Amino acid sequence: MSTRARDILVPLACLAVLALVPLVATESYTRHLFIIAFIYGIIASNWNLSLGHCGVFNFGHLTFFGVGVYTAAIAAKTFGINPWIAIWLGGVTAAFAAFLIATPVARLKGIYVVLVTFAFSQLAMQLVLSQSQITGGAEGMVRIPFMRIGDYSFVRDYKLGYYYVGLGLLVLSTLFLLAVINSPFGKSLKAVRDAEDYAESRGISVSTQRILVLVLSAVFTGVAGGFYAIYLRVASPEVFGFGTLALALSMVLIGGTGTTYGPIAAALALTFATESLAGIRGLEEARFIIVAVAMILVLRLAPGGLLGLLNRLKI
Amino acid sequence: MIETLLAALVSGLVLGSLYALMASGLSVVWTTLGVFNFAHGALMMVGAFVAWTVSEAAGLGLLTGIAAGTLVAALLGVLIERLLVRPFYGHRSMLLITVMTTLAAMIILEKGAQIIWGARLKQLPRLIDGEVSILGATISAHEAVLVGLAPLILFAIWRFTLKTRTGRSLRAVGQNQNSAALIGIDVPVAFAIAFGLSAALAGLTGALLGSIRFITPVMGAEPLVKAMIVVIFGGLGSLGATAGAAYLIGLIEALLIVWLGLYWTPFVLFLMMIIVLVFRPNGIFGGKE
Amino acid sequence: MDNLLTVSGVTAGYGPITVLRGLSLHLGAGECIGLFGPNGHGKTTLLQTISGLIRPTSGSIEFDGRELTRLRPPHIVEAGLVQSPQGNTLFGDMRVQETLELAAFSKHARDDRQSNLEKVFALFPRLEERRPQKARTLSGGERQMLSIGCALMCAPRLLMLDEPTLGLSPRLKEELAQAVGSIAKEGIPLIVVEQDVEFLMALADRLYLIEHGEVVREIDRANAPDHDEVMRLYFGEAAG
Ligand SMILES: Nc1ncnc2c1ncn2[C@@H]1O[C@H](COP(=O)(O)OP(=O)(O)O)[C@@H](O)[C@H]1O
Ligand SMILES: [Mg+2]
Repeated sequence: MSTRARDILVPLACLAVLALVPLVATESYTRHLFIIAFIYGIIASNWNLSLGHCGVFNFGHLTFFGVGVYTAAIAAKTFGINPWIAIWLGGVTAAFAAFLIATPVARLKGIYVVLVTFAFSQLAMQLVLSQSQITGGAEGMVRIPFMRIGDYSFVRDYKLGYYYVGLGLLVLSTLFLLAVINSPFGKSLKAVRDAEDYAESRGISVSTQRILVLVLSAVFTGVAGGFYAIYLRVASPEVFGFGTLALALSMVLIGGTGTTYGPIAAALALTFATESLAGIRGLEEARFIIVAVAMILVLRLAPGGLLGLLNRLKI
Repeated sequence: MIETLLAALVSGLVLGSLYALMASGLSVVWTTLGVFNFAHGALMMVGAFVAWTVSEAAGLGLLTGIAAGTLVAALLGVLIERLLVRPFYGHRSMLLITVMTTLAAMIILEKGAQIIWGARLKQLPRLIDGEVSILGATISAHEAVLVGLAPLILFAIWRFTLKTRTGRSLRAVGQNQNSAALIGIDVPVAFAIAFGLSAALAGLTGALLGSIRFITPVMGAEPLVKAMIVVIFGGLGSLGATAGAAYLIGLIEALLIVWLGLYWTPFVLFLMMIIVLVFRPNGIFGGKE
Repeated sequence: MDNLLTVSGVTAGYGPITVLRGLSLHLGAGECIGLFGPNGHGKTTLLQTISGLIRPTSGSIEFDGRELTRLRPPHIVEAGLVQSPQGNTLFGDMRVQETLELAAFSKHARDDRQSNLEKVFALFPRLEERRPQKARTLSGGERQMLSIGCALMCAPRLLMLDEPTLGLSPRLKEELAQAVGSIAKEGIPLIVVEQDVEFLMALADRLYLIEHGEVVREIDRANAPDHDEVMRLYFGEAAG
């Protein structure tokens, strides 16, 4: 099989399997895990666009997700906007937030990128906490309207509808990422990551590129956030915390920075691994420790794969 | 009006002391190794929990507890350096890798603390009971101890790095590792000392804070984030600037609370931090890059 | 043979790049040797390997009858094998006095700190004038003096100097050359890397010409080439 055929056939086969999963996994808990995994898959693979492909160490990627969560929640609950539309509004506001933060970040280097993007996520969280009339503050928002088509409620049928919406969003997001990466713009990203000075001398504007990458990486992350809010029917400031950040980061690292499908595969694997560990008594908290240890081990023991790529992160 | 301001000033002093202790620990590690330790807040939390266990659960007294908390945090700091930082020395992306490994360490410590000590709120007794009146504003005597102790500790660290052989060797390693090695300084040992010292400072801060705030597994997150703001304002490069910025941020925060209320204050602080970084993207860390 | 230093068959480099290819040389007790050769052919790499900053992939280094090959830099300095590295920038934010005091770091160096400090100031009176000044604010020549001064503070039993006059004006070059000469007269064995072969010939008992990470020629009093031959050796073979 040629690599090209493999690049197309293997993902298609995986997609076919995922499309058939609900036939086997009939109860709502397993489907729930898949839905959460799809959402994390979108977060991780989009984060990888800025982190792995462009070498921007954005520590505030989850901000985009959180912005999507609250946008959809407020749109659907406060303004009564149809959840189907609210989800996409999440993508719009997340992209706007990304633009806001990208403008200063594009000029920064090294630890500054980490600190500013992280501060930005804290800023967003503080904004959510302080505006409790709008966001529900620390308690968050509950009973957000759910999805329906006509009279059909997506809460029914053991989450079958949500399963396919989640999978559909993951497919759309992945197609979007593939289109970005394979475009001339995507190819220039690699050039910049690997040889910034050379790229500059060829007239590629690194800061414009960073801004664009951050905005692009925010779109589907925000949409996933919107879907997360509508699906779970809650929005809580937890999404900005260290825990979510570390989990998503471990997915990117373990899956392989700079690959397209790696973070998605890692998101599926880690979601199921952590959830099944959560089912074992006494391991509810330990599972996060296990994920953290896995992340460290990958950083230490897979230098060829992951560190090799980090090597080429030009930040 | 004057009274409100004075009260804000004094509570700013308390906050400033806390931030100065936290940020100077971050600064010691940064100037020596060029590593930003995300686990610093979690080390503080461990110090508080260990102090509680020794002092309250085992009943050995508060001072023993504080000493134990400081010591355990220091040992953990050395362990973090050994396991999570040292393997990546000399790696081109060391800065970013260690951001991730110390973040992982933070998760491990926080969740580990939750498993060991549970989520129930705990608190330490105060070193001294009673209240103290400064400038007409009243704070607890324990807080006054913190306010008095912080400058002493900062001064001690400053003298240590300036006058002692070991302290000077840390500065030398921070400025030029190869040259330091060539005059016989053991660079890995210097790294371990810097991490241990910084962690001891975090543990001590936590043990002292445990009498003022509730001890929880996530109690270190907020001081860490505040220390990050301090570090961005004042730079990590020099202890004096870091400490100065810590007191400044403490005061600004206290005044903002009076002026805007508790909710808007963090938001404005973060906004200030981002603005500062945008206009001084380099040189904030004293030209470390 | 009672050599003070024996380097045998050392292969070393940077990751995948091999620089030294089975290089061997030796230094007898009380001897002073010079290394020269074209730029980028491994002289600095050799000194760094001897000092333990680079691990050799094969070969061995013996100092005073003791195997050093796997030791780390602080232990090598402790043994008395010290170098002043090429283009040393030292510790920019440290004062001259502080730097020199700190340089007497190893255990045996600490005992002689005061007398060594006096010796360094006698050798470089300029450093004494600049005691409270930060290293960053020193001129190139003064930095070089500080670097050599630091090495002397380590109480060396063998001192390696990597291009001590690099990039200096002729006048300063002369000053430093004289200082190196008086260190040699004190009886401290030296390994000096220099581009100025005439200077080396006057100073050293033997010279090694290093090319492509190997010793290609050893020169001593018996087979000392004349001026023209040195020039040919140096430029002719280097260009080829
Ligand atoms: N840090 C390094 N990484 C990779 N290669 C290096 C490094 N330092 C030196 N080199 C290479 O090693 C070779 C020898 O350099 P060096 O020992 O400095 O030569 P010399 O001192 O004889 O001028 C050169 O080709 C140089 O490019
Ligand atoms: Mg050289």
